[in-house]
Order: sequence, then structure tokens, then C-alpha cells
Amino acid sequence: MSITEPTTRTPSGGVWAEVQSSAEFAGLRRRLRTFAFPMTAAFLLWYLLYVLLADYAHGFMATRLAGNITVGLVFGLLQFASTFVITGCYVWYANRRLDPVAERIRAEIEEGRR
Amino acid sequence: MIIAFAIAPLVLVTLLIGVRGVAAMRTTSDFLVASRQVSPLVNSAAVSGEYLSAASFLGVAGLVVKDGVGALWYPVGFTAGYIAMLVLVAAPMRRSGALTVPDFAEGRLASPALRRLAAVVVLVIGGLYLVPQFRTAGLVLSEVSSTPYWVGVVIAGAAVSITLALGGMRAATYVQAFQFFLKLCLFIVPAVWLMLQVGPAVRDQAVHPVEFTTFPRDTPVVFRVPVVLDVREPVTVRDNRGHPSLLPAGPQPVAAGQSLVFPAGSAVPRVRGESPPGGPGWQRPLLDLRQAGHPLLGTWAVLMATMLGTMGLPHVLVRFNTSPDGRSARRTAALTVGLLGIFYLFPGIYGVLGRVLVPQLYLAGATDTAVVALPAQVNQGWAGTLFTGLLTSGAFAAFLATSLGLLLVVSGAISHDLLPGGLARLRATVVVAAVAVVLLALPAAGIDVSTLVTWAFAVAASTFSPLLVLGIWWRRLTPAGALAGMSVGLLASAGAIAVTLFAPPLHGAAAILVAQPAPWSVPLAFATMLLVSLRGRPPAWSWAAMLRLHLDEPPGATRDRSDLRHSTRVRRRSSAVRRAARRLVG
Repeated sequence: MSITEPTTRTPSGGVWAEVQSSAEFAGLRRRLRTFAFPMTAAFLLWYLLYVLLADYAHGFMATRLAGNITVGLVFGLLQFASTFVITGCYVWYANRRLDPVAERIRAEIEEGRR
Repeated sequence: MIIAFAIAPLVLVTLLIGVRGVAAMRTTSDFLVASRQVSPLVNSAAVSGEYLSAASFLGVAGLVVKDGVGALWYPVGFTAGYIAMLVLVAAPMRRSGALTVPDFAEGRLASPALRRLAAVVVLVIGGLYLVPQFRTAGLVLSEVSSTPYWVGVVIAGAAVSITLALGGMRAATYVQAFQFFLKLCLFIVPAVWLMLQVGPAVRDQAVHPVEFTTFPRDTPVVFRVPVVLDVREPVTVRDNRGHPSLLPAGPQPVAAGQSLVFPAGSAVPRVRGESPPGGPGWQRPLLDLRQAGHPLLGTWAVLMATMLGTMGLPHVLVRFNTSPDGRSARRTAALTVGLLGIFYLFPGIYGVLGRVLVPQLYLAGATDTAVVALPAQVNQGWAGTLFTGLLTSGAFAAFLATSLGLLLVVSGAISHDLLPGGLARLRATVVVAAVAVVLLALPAAGIDVSTLVTWAFAVAASTFSPLLVLGIWWRRLTPAGALAGMSVGLLASAGAIAVTLFAPPLHGAAAILVAQPAPWSVPLAFATMLLVSLRGRPPAWSWAAMLRLHLDEPPGATRDRSDLRHSTRVRRRSSAVRRAARRLVG
């Protein structure tokens, strides 16, 4: 059992709505990718930066800001907070900027079908 | 004793719910459809409940005791993995309708060979994930009730396979959700109690670690694994019958199962190949894997494996299909990050307290039991016993929830993808798989639970992660490319793990790259998949397959009733998008 359709259909091609939706669909995927991939890279780099600092900048990370609170501790807590911020950002972006486009494309496909 | 009042009720309740689950499936035809209306909060609790295994409940704190606060990178990776999953996989995976990665593989690329390879990968990941769960059950039981190691392993195997063979758990999202909140309570309440019970002196030591060099009191150590002790000063120890014997200075082999009582004030011997808790480097927030002296590489390797591996964990992916649509799958992943964040605030507390109160577990090779060993150190009365019981119960809940989910996808992969058969075959497979895992877990007592689990992540990151990321985001992926990339990733990661387990130990950066292969095996798998795909032509219907992944269904669209009893059964969806996609093909 598979979710793939049989692939034996002969290509007819050339229906306007289909071309249009494909082009617009490519736009949607571009929009997804220009957000999703830089975002993933940014959050990986942010963790890497912390590891780098912890390894090579002992002095900086051990700088005391107040009492027992060091730069390293503040950065650690910021990582925690930033994880939630990144998560929230993505959900917001997807709901506001991606879903409407996807809905429009679907509507057009359905019109083309009728 | 502790078995009776901590574990028996838990197993009984799980069994009862399992039986009820079967009844509900038989009588309520709408039950499965209703389960797709699960709200993101409940569903994310279920995801977290299935995800928080013995590695999270016990393993992280154990590694903090042994290796230092750098071990907290494990939970960071375990949580951050959900961000990668959220951004790259969650919603398209849900829209695909595929319940498992083998389904997705065949659905996106229509290649039965790819499906079988994916099923094999599920077996490898499932094995690497299940063995440490069973092993930890054995270790915890022998710590709290002095039973031999194998007893706990066998109890674990029996409990899980009987529950599954009776047929429950499948549709019971709410059971997993309940399990999450249960685990959360059983983890947080004892942590708060411990912090209040220990005196200010212990709290002070917890934040200002000193190396574990002398035994502060008469300390019994039950060695779980054979070790070589480097004894620095001759010391008279007593065995469990009270007979004194002299340990002369120099290397002293100690057999597994031996029990020695070290007198107060004597010097702590070193374990060959390990650094003692609290020493220099313990406080550094980096992971020095295998004491190889490359903490940066070690930390990055673990982060890479856990972050990219999460999206390919078969038992977690299944859960996302109980969301009604892609949008709520996305919200589920986002909420999961929050719920896991709350849980992972606490292993660090157990870890630093364990370093002060039970550092001798590092000699015994049983730091994974630090969490359940703590209450007895703080309170010898009924309260200590009660909290030991609570934590043991939580640890069993952790390992039961994860094992049930994993054993089901493993059995599903065998009986649906590899050797197709009916429901009876599925049930038999469950028992056979459980026996196999028990047999594998028996000799695995000496390997840290988090290490083994991270290997499962490394294999997932080197196989399923490229398949999912490229399959969802790159139209030109071809079946041949996916096959080649996954084979290379599987051989590289599993081969490296085999070398670590069976070959003589390596040193330096090579040791890390073999013990934690993600930094090179993941790029290698991605590159193979890209290059082989570029040499071929994508199938004609690849646009249609992509459309289905990225366009949501309208709410309330007609959906076929589906049968979720088989984890790998894929739902047929006859929506407008699907019909349109079909037209694009034809």
C-alpha cells in the first residue's frame, strides 16, 4: 500500500492552471526554503558559538557580572530562551506567510479542475 | 519490596489500559478517526511522553555525575532536535499521510527496495534505542532491591511484550500524554524534596565541585562491570560478609558483581580509563567524549547527532500523524520543545547532587542509577524509601513508554515491510523482538544509556535525516540517490559503532570520530544522495509528490476512514489536492 499514484498515466501537459500552480508552487517552496534553511543554520551556529566560547574563551565566559552570575551562565540561559524564541518565530512565520500562499495555490488548482 | 509497591502498580495499569485499548478499538469504529482530532497540547505531551526515555530520566544525570556538567549538552540536543524537526519535517510529513519513514520512502519515491532498506534502518535504530532501556531497567532494579541484573531485564522484556501482544497502546494517545505528566511529577517533586532535604553544606558543595579523592564515610560499592582500579594507597576493604582484605597499591582488577566496603577517610582508587567526578574539567561546559582531549569536537559531534537524529526517530514520527493537519503538526512540534524544556531543567539538579552524595557510583560503573540512589542518601527513613519508590516508578514509566512505542515500530517494520503477514504474525513478532532485545541487553550492562541512545540518533541522522530533508525539499531526489545515500549512511554510522564496540580502543580525535560518527557520516550521506540523484532523472510525478507535501488539505475535507492498527498502514486521502495532483501527473 502506498500513497503514490500509479505512474503509468500519459502526460497531457499544458493546462494553464497547472503551469501557473507549478510556478507559484515553486515560489512557495522558495519562500519556505529561504526561511527554513537559514533559520536552521542560524540556530546550529548559535549553539556552535557557545561551544566555541566555552572552549577557547574561558576568561570571557568566567567574567563575573554580579555575584555568582558569569557571562557563561547568562549565555547558557540565553540559549535556553533563544530556543523558545526560534520556535515561536517559525510558527508565526509559517502561519502568517506560508499558509496563505498554500491556500491560494490550492484554491487555484481547484478552480482549474472545475 | 520496592518492586512490589513502585513497579507492579505501574505495570498493572499499563496492562489494563492495553486491554481497554483493544476493547475500544473493536467497539468504536470512530475511535481512530477521533484520535486524529487530538489537540496540539495533548499530542505534544504524548510525543514528549514517548520520547522521554530512561536516557533522559536517568542517563543524563548519571553522565553529569561521571563526566561533568558538559553532559547537559545531551538534553540540549534532544530538545533542539525538535526545532530542526519543526522547521524541516513536521508539517510536510503529516501532509504526506505516511505513518513511518518506510511509508514516506515509498510514498515519495515509489521504490519498494527503498522501503525495505528503510525498514532495516528502523530495526537498527530500534535496537540501539531499546537495548539501553532494558539494560537500565535491570540496573535500576538491582540498585533499589538487590536483585541480579538479569532479573530486571527479563521483567522489562516481559512487561513490554505482554502489553503489546495483548494489543494495547496503539491508539492510546492519552496514555502517553498521561505518562508525560506522570514522569514530570515523579521527576520534579523528588528533585524539590531533595533540594530541601540536603543541608546548606551539600548545596554549597554542589555548586563548588571538588574532586572525589577520599571516602567521606564507610562506602559500600557493588561493582556492576569488571574494572581495573588504580589503587594509590594500600587500603583494607571488607567484602559483603565483613571479611577484611588488603588492596595493595597498583592496578587491581575487580570482577563484576563483587561488593567492597571502603572505610571512611581512605583514598579513592581511580578507575582505569575514566576521570573521577568533580576533577578539573568536570565543571567545564563541554563534553570530553572518551577522555580524548578534544572537547570541542566531542560536544559538536553529540549535538549534530541528536539535533539531526530526532527527526528520524521512528517512534516519534508516528505520533505526528494523530494531528488533524500540517498546521497542528507544526504546533505540536513547537509545544514539544517547550514541554521538553521544562523536563530538562531537572537532570542537572540530580547530577550535581549525585556528584556530592553518590560519587562512588562512578567506581561501580553504575552512575546511571544516581537518580534513584539519591533519596536513600538523604533520608534513611520512610520518606527516603517513598521517594526512591517514586523515582523508580518514574524511571519504569519512562522506559515502558519508550519501549512500547519502539517495539511496535520495530515489529511493524518486520511484519509489514520485510515479511508481510497478518495481525497474528505481528503479535508473534513483538514477542520475538522483545526476546532478541533482552538477549542483547544482558551483556550490555557496562555501556552508559545515553551513549547507546546517542548512537541511535547518529544512525537516524545519517540515514533518515538526509532522506526526509532532501525528500521534502528537493524535487530532483531519485530513488537510486536515496538508496545509495541511505546505504552509505547506514554502513558508515553502524560500522563506526561496531568498531567502537569490538575493536581495540583508539585515541585522540579518531576515537571521537569513530565513537560518535555523525560529523562525517551525515555530510557523507547527504553528499552521496545529492550526487547520485544529480546523475539520474527525477520521476515524472515528482511535482505531484512535492505538491502533496507542501499544500495543506482544506479543513473538513472528506477523508477516508483509516486503520491505524498497523503502524505502517498509510491512510488514503481523496482530497481536492490529491485529485489535482493526479491531474498534474496525467
